Amino acid sequence: MKFRQIVFVLLCALLRIVPLFAQDSLVVKGKLNDTLMLSNATVTARSQEQQLREGAYAVGAVNIRIQAATLQTLTQAIDRSSGIRIREEGGVGSDFDLSINGMGGNSVRYFLDGMPLDAKGSGITLSNLPVNLIERVEIYKGVIPASFGSDALGGAINIITNRQHRNYLDFSYGIGSFHTHKADFSARFTGRRTGLTIKPVISASYSKNDYLMHDVKVRNADRTAFIVTDLPRFHDDYLSLFAQLEAGVSDRSWADDFYLSASVSKVDKELQTGATQSYVIGMAERNTKALNLSARYAKKGFLTDRLDVNATVSQTWDHTQTIDTTYRRYYWDGTYIEGSYSEIRHRGKTLRNYRRPMTLVRGNFDYHLSEAHQLTLNYLLNRTGNRQDDAWDADYVPTDDALTKHIIGLSYNQVLFGGKMDNAFFVKDYINHLEVGQSEFASTSGAATAEASSTRNYLGYGVGSRFAISDPLAIKASYEHSVRLPVSREVLGNGSTIYPNLILTPEISENFNLGFFGSWDLGGGHVLSYEANGFARLVDNYIQATVSETEGMMQYVNVAAVHIKGVDGEIRYDWAGKLHLAVNASYDDCRDQREFNQDGSRSITYRNRTPNRPWTFSNAEASYTFHQVGLPDSRLRLTADYQWVHWFFVTWEAFGSASTKSRIPTQHIVNASLLYSWQGGRYNLSLECTNLLDALAYDNYMLQKPGRAFFLKFRLFL
Amino acid sequence: MKEMKRILLILTVAMVSMMSMAVSCREPEPEPEPEPVVVDKDYNFDLFVCAVKHGGMSKNKNGTYVRSVPDVTADQPMVEFTGKGIDITEDYTLESITRGKYYYQVPQRATGGFVKFHIERNAAGEESIVEDAEVPFKNNVYSARKYTHAWINDSTTLVIVGTADKATKIIWSKLNESNLAVQSEGTFDISLPTGYNAFSTTGLLTYRKSDGKLYYFYLAKPAAGLSDAATSVTYIAVIDPATMKVESNTAVPAEIMEETAGSAYGELMQNMIMYDEADNMYVAGLQTIDGKEMGILRRIPVGQKSFDPSWNGFPNPEGKLLTVQYLGNGKALSYSRDETLGTKIDSKSHFYSIVSLSNGARERVKFNGKDLQYCGGRFSQRSTVVNGKAYIGVGGEVEGAAEETNPTIYIYDCKTGVVEKGVELSKGFCFDIIRAMDAE
Repeated sequence: MKFRQIVFVLLCALLRIVPLFAQDSLVVKGKLNDTLMLSNATVTARSQEQQLREGAYAVGAVNIRIQAATLQTLTQAIDRSSGIRIREEGGVGSDFDLSINGMGGNSVRYFLDGMPLDAKGSGITLSNLPVNLIERVEIYKGVIPASFGSDALGGAINIITNRQHRNYLDFSYGIGSFHTHKADFSARFTGRRTGLTIKPVISASYSKNDYLMHDVKVRNADRTAFIVTDLPRFHDDYLSLFAQLEAGVSDRSWADDFYLSASVSKVDKELQTGATQSYVIGMAERNTKALNLSARYAKKGFLTDRLDVNATVSQTWDHTQTIDTTYRRYYWDGTYIEGSYSEIRHRGKTLRNYRRPMTLVRGNFDYHLSEAHQLTLNYLLNRTGNRQDDAWDADYVPTDDALTKHIIGLSYNQVLFGGKMDNAFFVKDYINHLEVGQSEFASTSGAATAEASSTRNYLGYGVGSRFAISDPLAIKASYEHSVRLPVSREVLGNGSTIYPNLILTPEISENFNLGFFGSWDLGGGHVLSYEANGFARLVDNYIQATVSETEGMMQYVNVAAVHIKGVDGEIRYDWAGKLHLAVNASYDDCRDQREFNQDGSRSITYRNRTPNRPWTFSNAEASYTFHQVGLPDSRLRLTADYQWVHWFFVTWEAFGSASTKSRIPTQHIVNASLLYSWQGGRYNLSLECTNLLDALAYDNYMLQKPGRAFFLKFRLFL
Repeated sequence: MKEMKRILLILTVAMVSMMSMAVSCREPEPEPEPEPVVVDKDYNFDLFVCAVKHGGMSKNKNGTYVRSVPDVTADQPMVEFTGKGIDITEDYTLESITRGKYYYQVPQRATGGFVKFHIERNAAGEESIVEDAEVPFKNNVYSARKYTHAWINDSTTLVIVGTADKATKIIWSKLNESNLAVQSEGTFDISLPTGYNAFSTTGLLTYRKSDGKLYYFYLAKPAAGLSDAATSVTYIAVIDPATMKVESNTAVPAEIMEETAGSAYGELMQNMIMYDEADNMYVAGLQTIDGKEMGILRRIPVGQKSFDPSWNGFPNPEGKLLTVQYLGNGKALSYSRDETLGTKIDSKSHFYSIVSLSNGARERVKFNGKDLQYCGGRFSQRSTVVNGKAYIGVGGEVEGAAEETNPTIYIYDCKTGVVEKGVELSKGFCFDIIRAMDAE
């Protein structure tokens, strides 16, 4: 049995990690032969991704290191994962919505090394976080360990950064279609005498996003009629800057890690459309800048050998400015009329400042009762302020709101039957405190009825279990009664296209997962692995984004209840580290469960499929790696992937004849990439083509996505 | 016996003499005029419903659907929306200008212009929308739903009026009915009175045939957005439709009317202005009574340009007066609210009455001796008057645990006052609008 396990582990790692070109060698000091290098890689992978997959929770893991040399953004890699769907509103830097097993929007929480990603500033997302910095991404589906201190409902994305304990320098620059440029720099340096480690990160990306918009309406020459034509976007520039300096020490008697960190971010974004692309914007912008200071401390064996401590404090000053100071009404050719209303709000001119200071305190305490039993206590304080003023509109009355969450989690983990069974039990307490000062659009935002100050308490709990019957067959199941507190964006709006809704109530959901996974060694280097998961999310007070009125504004509202049931699965095949094939598919059925309307009448939408959301989609990927191609220690990897999303209706599918209903058409997107790496991964050159077939694709409310695009990237790793 | 015959003869002669004298005294009998032949026009009834909530003023984000049916009498099959009808949610607003068979509006899809369309039915009875014209704005820009309108020049010209610049300017545009070409545009020479910072979002525009003038009712408010009626002042601007010059602009005393019944979306959905045969103009409004905004119905007599202060067609109101429609012969159909039964948009507190314009008396519309039920839908226009009949829609009824009823159309005969039951709509939808559109 032991021998088989070793073989399984080795083969899995071999086949999954062989494509690690540059990065593989990074874990090995000096020049090593392939065999030794692969052995090292094997141990690394087993301890991270494989362990995650084999844990009690429903978790997916994406190894970013093996893709970092080609990727533009993290969203690209995550979007190909089983059960994940990312809906983008446009090109580089556009807003996006990520869903896990049908639960999207703010039901999904994002973490950076266990800390809420928001701490880096509201402008920092999966789409602009430096890819080179990332080791892997963990995707928690539905049930989330208490250690995250999270109130996520649909799942969580935890981004794990590079934690190598050696000095390195990583630089990359990429240039692509639509005037896209991206440069990332990261390094680690530890002074031999002082032991002080410094980790700088600098990242910049820019794009004009001037991709072609198809079939847009513009005025004819004498401006008396509309004509339909294709034109490039003209007001969608995006600039993202991020810099971080982390300094501290590791492996001291009093701390395994103690680091202080400072980061700044700046994201300037021109706005091109409202929530629908027929509404064209030509002047308005949303600019964000943030400063974050944080300290983290980790120590295994804190005071006693049985206690591990991990603590972080963080303070973020986040400032978003929405510039909406023109009365122009634009058309897609860039012409405009001096109109009567501002572009975003469709009211008076505004230059609105949103200052959202965020304080985070997180403490995680693991107490090992024995090797097989562990207690974990986690506490997270998240206080987000929302101070608004307007530099243009003298009539605007400044506001000062605050949203404070305390989340306390206690979990007990046990490993039984020699590791065959793994169980986790947890409870979470959520305390939500809201202070409301704003009164603008009182009837829309609920300010007229919201309490000025309110505190609510909610309890969540769950269990996860995994049992390995044999290598090809393991079963896992998990359940959580989860609570998702509305985030500030949902409650307080975003200052541009989202109205506040101050009377939003938390989502509550019963989340169930049941999954199978396993792997077969077919001999001769052929390995087939699989996973299949069934899930149910029984949600109450579902928070749904809806288009509001005609100005292109949106608002989050509570929908009485929805039930989401579905399956997702993935099959992977590897051959000798050269050929990698994978296909996954996801299906979910999201049904409205509100039986009665507010006036007591029976709701006609009861048990109808929830509109405007993709419910069936699939991804397929194939890659082949050639070794020693041309230059010494070189590899060439060719990759192609295909994404398919079934069409869906924008409104309730049952009502109105199908021919008259708006629908978002089926997407067929093919991407291809080529990566050449030499000198053991020191140098990497990649060329990627996204949307190779130049297919017309839409995600959100008919917002057209970019057509065929190329991206050339060079990466240097020392 | 002879005596008897003589008496009879004398009496007969006397009667004949008197009759002949009477006849000789009268004007010659004119030829009887033939009864005017009223040829009923053919209409299609476009029925708009919304899912989950009433959709008036487009607060509904759950879907808007329309069926177009040629007949709404009781013998017709139930009007279904499941898998049938047009889903207009993404493209068009529920609120619209209509005339003949056409709809005119600034569409929901916000392409930056006006659109004209009509609804067609194929042989299988399936409806679809056919766009007849779409033109961009010229200089004045309007938002979907936020404009008021009137027809002039024998309905060949459509006048659109809205506000701009944080509702501090009132803009207008004249459109050619047939192709929507913008003929002319401008801004009214109307300034905010001292102490007021915003006009109403749209106000109400109407054209009066007898004097050939446009009447524009608008509010001066302390700030843009919602405000209490008591803090606003209603103005009447009389405008020359040829030059669009403001000929007079006078404030309405608060004791006559504090606000018009609606001021944010014109009459794109709800009818708040009506005329009788003599061209007296009636305007639904609001008046604060005991701290509550209540309905009032005022009249501008033909030949005059201001309200008759002594006349109120809606005395002792139960609540807000929401819509009025003239039925003929001094009667009107009102849609109003009983404040004691709820003031939310979906509160089942709204009801229909027949109002006598001669004395203000009103009586709820009855069917089989029973009041038509209370309905939800503060912003609904489920009634239309054509061919001497008022077609009145009511929503599904829910009373306790009783079985929910279907939304139903009742047909009121304007001459006889008889009410008959019409067609039903499928259960569960919020019935918001009935529009009678020319069949061809």
